Amino acid sequence: MQQLEIHNFLIRYFQANECEITENGPGYLTVQLTIEMDKELMNRPFYWHYLEKTGGIPNPMKLTFITNPQMVPEHIKGETIHFGSPRLHQIFESTKKLSSYIRLYENHNNVNLQTPLMPWLCMNVKVSYQCDRKRDIYKSIGLQLINGQMVEDFHDRLQEVHLTPKIPDYSFTLSPLVKPKSGMARIENYLRAMIEQDDHSWADEARKRWEQDLRLLEHFYEDVEEENENYETEKKALQEQYEPKINISFINGGLFYLTDKAV
Amino acid sequence: MTVTIEFDSSWQDEFIHRIENDGPWGSWELFKLAVGVEKHLVIPEFEGLQAPKHLPNLTPLPHQLETAKQVIENMNGKAILADEVGLGKTIEAGLILKEYMIRGLVKKVLILVPASLVTQWSFELNSKFFIPAVSQRKSYVWEQCDVVVSSIDTAKREPHREIINKQDYDLIIIDEAHKLKNNKTKNYEFVQNLKKKFCLLLTATPIQNRIEEIFNLVSLLKPGHLGSETAFFDKYKRDARSLNDNEHLKELVNKVMIRNRRADTGIEWTKRHVETITIEFTPQEKELYEAITDLKSEGDWVQASSFSVMTLQREACSSRESVFYTLKNMLQKKENPTKAFEDQIQYLITKVEAVQTNSKAEKALELIKKIDDKVIIFTEYRATQMYLQWYLKQHGISSVPFRGGFKRGKKDWMRELFQNRAQVLIATEAGGEGINLQFCNHIINFDLPWNPMRLEQRIGRIHRLGQEKDVMIYNFAIKNTVEDHILKLLYEKIELFEKVIGDLDDILTKLDFGNIEDHLIDIFGQSCSEGEMRIKMENLTSMIDLAKDMQKEDSHAAAGNS
Repeated sequence: MQQLEIHNFLIRYFQANECEITENGPGYLTVQLTIEMDKELMNRPFYWHYLEKTGGIPNPMKLTFITNPQMVPEHIKGETIHFGSPRLHQIFESTKKLSSYIRLYENHNNVNLQTPLMPWLCMNVKVSYQCDRKRDIYKSIGLQLINGQMVEDFHDRLQEVHLTPKIPDYSFTLSPLVKPKSGMARIENYLRAMIEQDDHSWADEARKRWEQDLRLLEHFYEDVEEENENYETEKKALQEQYEPKINISFINGGLFYLTDKAV
Repeated sequence: MTVTIEFDSSWQDEFIHRIENDGPWGSWELFKLAVGVEKHLVIPEFEGLQAPKHLPNLTPLPHQLETAKQVIENMNGKAILADEVGLGKTIEAGLILKEYMIRGLVKKVLILVPASLVTQWSFELNSKFFIPAVSQRKSYVWEQCDVVVSSIDTAKREPHREIINKQDYDLIIIDEAHKLKNNKTKNYEFVQNLKKKFCLLLTATPIQNRIEEIFNLVSLLKPGHLGSETAFFDKYKRDARSLNDNEHLKELVNKVMIRNRRADTGIEWTKRHVETITIEFTPQEKELYEAITDLKSEGDWVQASSFSVMTLQREACSSRESVFYTLKNMLQKKENPTKAFEDQIQYLITKVEAVQTNSKAEKALELIKKIDDKVIIFTEYRATQMYLQWYLKQHGISSVPFRGGFKRGKKDWMRELFQNRAQVLIATEAGGEGINLQFCNHIINFDLPWNPMRLEQRIGRIHRLGQEKDVMIYNFAIKNTVEDHILKLLYEKIELFEKVIGDLDDILTKLDFGNIEDHLIDIFGQSCSEGEMRIKMENLTSMIDLAKDMQKEDSHAAAGNS
């Protein structure tokens, strides 16, 4: 993420959370937090607890973020934000937390004509291949809950569609034939099938490394007659170090009601 | 072969719940942002380093990045980092730790370091790597914090030990790991018992000493890598001196150890200029020195402690204050002192009182004025340190004191004062205490330590990565004293000052003939004549030369291999 991307990301994040950007200058921005966002980001439960008990006037914080130290005017003081800064990662986490589940409707322009909207289940996931090393892939899958059509890169396709949280006029939603629960199972199976066809030489190699180290370990404790606690500990450590695993974790997802031309 | 796939089902349960309750639903804008964020955080390859992208304020050197990559990609996260002093082992360890954290392979971390370095480690991890490391002070820290820095001595004691054994650590880092070379110690046992999924052992001294020590250290990291204990010692003699005797063993060790040498890093090091300044005593100073030297012929004294006489002689070369302080101590500590003893001390004290000036201090003042830039003065004695601070102040020169015993905060404060306000820093202990003063490039060795490693550490404070100028070293020695002998017969002979840090510890560990300081005390204390002393000194220097030659051959051999 470049510094300018971070700057724009912060603006979008705070605006989406209804915080006023009071200043937006070269290499910095100042934001007035709302009470909710103060609670979300500032980690001061005692202050808020005290305030609620005493009925004082809430005073949510105002924050200044410096996104480019080279450009920022000298008199501006604030927190420098870069790709590795803990604050940015806190905001990343918050972004995910606040948007895990969604339901949206396509805002079509059909007037005077009752338009049917098809239900789609969207799941954005991260697949992690893990042994003593790790890599991830991002997947966005959409499943039409009437005819069972499965679409990859679903999230990217949604970018073309005008969406709204309220069902637009002259629209009606079609009830899903596939229940969301079994829809999720279909996507899960699809992902599993896809992963199984992957090249898993990485896992074979990790197992080889594991095997090798295990042999060394056994050789080391060969002389020791009785049960040895260290041997068991080391053996467990090797398993944790090398055992290949694949984790599918969720970024977010939800229900989208779209016209039949949308996807 | 199939791999288990774990599917996080918590998301699904909550999703059904929200459908049933008609919300609450997130906003589209945040939803899009979250996907965007995740696309940035996805790590597409097993290989390569992500950490540098997250560390804009740190510019790791090529050898540090290479080391981090090696450890992760070829050593599977278990390694001994044995770079020469001053090449940044802490940075390498930080990079590896950060990389694993970013990839989500490491969460819970235990970092064991010498007590004096605990605060500094957590400070560096926080400030340079944005890793929320916590110094262990309360016992609940073990459970509540993910990254904890502690000393082994604390960690191995109850109640800590029991709590630590219950934690599930992903990575364990041990600084100064060469202290774990003996497998009979409590510390060794403690570390051996820890579960080590990933593990980094940091050591400044190369483990080329005894084969037994190498075996112990490697077995701690990767049991069985060098075979079982009996099999290993059947094959290699327990007391074999050096790793170099056996190519195969060397190769095995290199699979788990990285040792970057200064010469291989390709970094341009600034030069060292050494100037020896010989100073003459004033008549009164000379009288004091001779009065002390005469003690050696006073029967009782020699047997009792040639060490005390030696110390007093060396102190007389530094300042009358340090002599006085030691004399006073001797008098106080002696139980039921004889009259003769008391008289003797009293006599020396009158000699101390007769001294009115300090020749070295005058020279130092002159030099500092001439240099007209920041200067560090090293002395072995606190009394000299205090005197010098007073003396310089009398002449309008600002100085700050520095001692190894200062707490971390005070050290940093003194360093800052020196950098921004004062011209001179007067230090008594260089110690491996990790204070870096590379903004200064002049050192005055007001007196000399007898342990060459200490001298190296003094110079190492300023002659390290980040020093942009040539380093000037001024050695003070009083003519015709023990100091003079040490400097001329030993340090200059072995070209100590021209050495780059790191070479010396190699040489000294090769020698393996015990403490140099003990040899010196023996030479100066027991020699009956000047001639005998010279011969003994020559023996010592030729031994060091021999070790040096051995080392040169080694590095040629190493160069041939690569």
